Amino acid sequence: MRCLIVEDDPDIQADLRRALEASGFVVDAASDGNDAWFLGDTEEYDAVVLDLGLPGLDGLSVLRRWRASGRACPVIVLSARGDWTEKVEGIEAGADDYMGKPFQMGELVARVRGLLRREAGRTSNVVAIGKLRLDTTRMSATFDGAPAHLSPLEFRLLDHLAHSPERAVSAGELAEHLYGIADAGDTNAIEAIVARLRRKFGADVIATRRGFGYLLGVSP
Amino acid sequence: MIARSLHWRLLAGAAAAILLALCVAWLFMTLLFERHLERRLEAELTRDGLRLVAALELGPGQVPVIDPAPMDPRLQTPAGGYYWQVSTAAGAARSRSLWDADLPAPERAPTGDWRLRHVDGPYGEQVSVLERLVVPDANGPGVLVQLAQDRAPLAAARNEFGRELALFLGVLWLVLSAAAWLQVRLGLRPLGRIRGGLPLLRDSARARLPEAHLREIQPLTEAINALADARERDLALARHRAADLAHGLKTPLSAIAAQSRRAREDGAVQAADGLDRAVAAIRRTIDAELAYARAATIRRAPGGDADVRTVVEQLVTVIEHTDQGGQLAFTVDIPPSLRLSVQPEDLSEIVGAVLENAARHARRQVRVSGHAGPQWTALTIEDDGPGFPADRIDHLLSRGGRLDESGSGLGLSIARELAEATAGRLTLSASPLGGALVRFDWSAG
Repeated sequence: MRCLIVEDDPDIQADLRRALEASGFVVDAASDGNDAWFLGDTEEYDAVVLDLGLPGLDGLSVLRRWRASGRACPVIVLSARGDWTEKVEGIEAGADDYMGKPFQMGELVARVRGLLRREAGRTSNVVAIGKLRLDTTRMSATFDGAPAHLSPLEFRLLDHLAHSPERAVSAGELAEHLYGIADAGDTNAIEAIVARLRRKFGADVIATRRGFGYLLGVSP
Repeated sequence: MIARSLHWRLLAGAAAAILLALCVAWLFMTLLFERHLERRLEAELTRDGLRLVAALELGPGQVPVIDPAPMDPRLQTPAGGYYWQVSTAAGAARSRSLWDADLPAPERAPTGDWRLRHVDGPYGEQVSVLERLVVPDANGPGVLVQLAQDRAPLAAARNEFGRELALFLGVLWLVLSAAAWLQVRLGLRPLGRIRGGLPLLRDSARARLPEAHLREIQPLTEAINALADARERDLALARHRAADLAHGLKTPLSAIAAQSRRAREDGAVQAADGLDRAVAAIRRTIDAELAYARAATIRRAPGGDADVRTVVEQLVTVIEHTDQGGQLAFTVDIPPSLRLSVQPEDLSEIVGAVLENAARHARRQVRVSGHAGPQWTALTIEDDGPGFPADRIDHLLSRGGRLDESGSGLGLSIARELAEATAGRLTLSASPLGGALVRFDWSAG
């Protein structure tokens, strides 16, 4: 597993390197924005840890350039400012997770592993639901050709419905699929997710069969 | 009062200048009028003098005789104020008005032309005397022809004119002063408008004075607006410097955390624990001070326009990217038209802290709903987690209080501090979902 660390503080960079190498990663490191952009654009990495405050080219610009040139590797952003506006900018620029500084190294390693888990173990598959296309490899989605954001839970719900074509799936079954052992209250959460998906992609993305459950919309 | 008021100073200056000009005008016009009277008098005397000369004859013994005598009634009344006298060395003829008095003789009588002089008259009055030496017969002696008129009517006319003119000029002074007062009032009105606009500038760093459209006032409003620009820049700079300070401290803090890990690997577990505790404490302090600095900045420069739903959706998107957030069902029930007069980045901080808290404690769902009435806006964030222990709600809202001592997020107290900076209120209660409910209320100002 290759991982790129972009961090200008030598102490933190060395610490990150040791922690990730101890977890079995092959680590490359860059300490300024231009180097980072070049490395990320020319090499294949399984994960990137990107500090936002960088000399040369700032982290957000680096991330936007990677995403603009189709680099889809998971990126975890380290933010020193730590305010919400910066987090929003980071996620909108294409980050997959963020951590405020100073951070617990154990938590960072766990989050990098989490990102890799999300990436791995998926068969290459693109499911089309009307205008919505789910790429189960990248765990990304496009709606009407434009990138759309799905939370992991929303993604799994759509994925499950997509794998049960022409069959209404009950809220209870969905809750069990999403949460493992589910109780009666969890069906409310399922309704909330369905409502959110309908708001994002239109009411007909998921149809309701009253008394039976949910079905992926068969919109043209 | 006059010394301390621009209005009264201008008015007093204008009134004094007008008064001075009118006094000079009065003096000058009175003088002109007097000269006019003098010329009229001289013309009258000259005309009557020529008649006298025409009627002059030398009687027996070279005594002058006037025949016919002029008929002016003043000449017939003794001490009537108008006199004539023709005289030679041999004798004199005189008007009836002179009775038996003599007009004072000149030291040297003019021969060529009439000459006017002012002397004391025969009855104690001031008179103007016009006189000339004429020679009716080439062989005869010179005859001194004199006409005299009392100057009292002239002085009376001049004084009356002066009084009436003074009265008229006095009224004129009042009218002009009133006009000056009006002019000063109208002239100072734009300054009053600027003064009226300044409280808005004081209350909000984003407010500006409107364009003045007056060449003399525009530089003032521009200067004041430039000052407001500088103030807004300074506020932004202060905010940036606070953020920079945090950045500047957080990175070395991460480095210290790295050193702590290294120490722990080398077996210095106690030292590492101490370092970790210190790092956590400093981080909490930085977060809190940053939030208080932000709250102070908001208080100094309130206002803004945040699209509540967009802000909340962005925050939810961020939280959905975290491991915990990705496992939760979020419901955002906010009308798209809901706006709040708060800067979007400040609203992000206020709601973000609470939303992150909710996501940390929720089991399955987090719900954010917004409502607006004509005079208020409310935003509630609820979850289906364990909820707030009723006995700890006060502690949670106190400065630095937190439910989860190990949590690294900002406490609810900071969200409350920020909400209050934006003139909002934060209350905690239990949610129908089973967990915590945090409600923000803003009354529309």
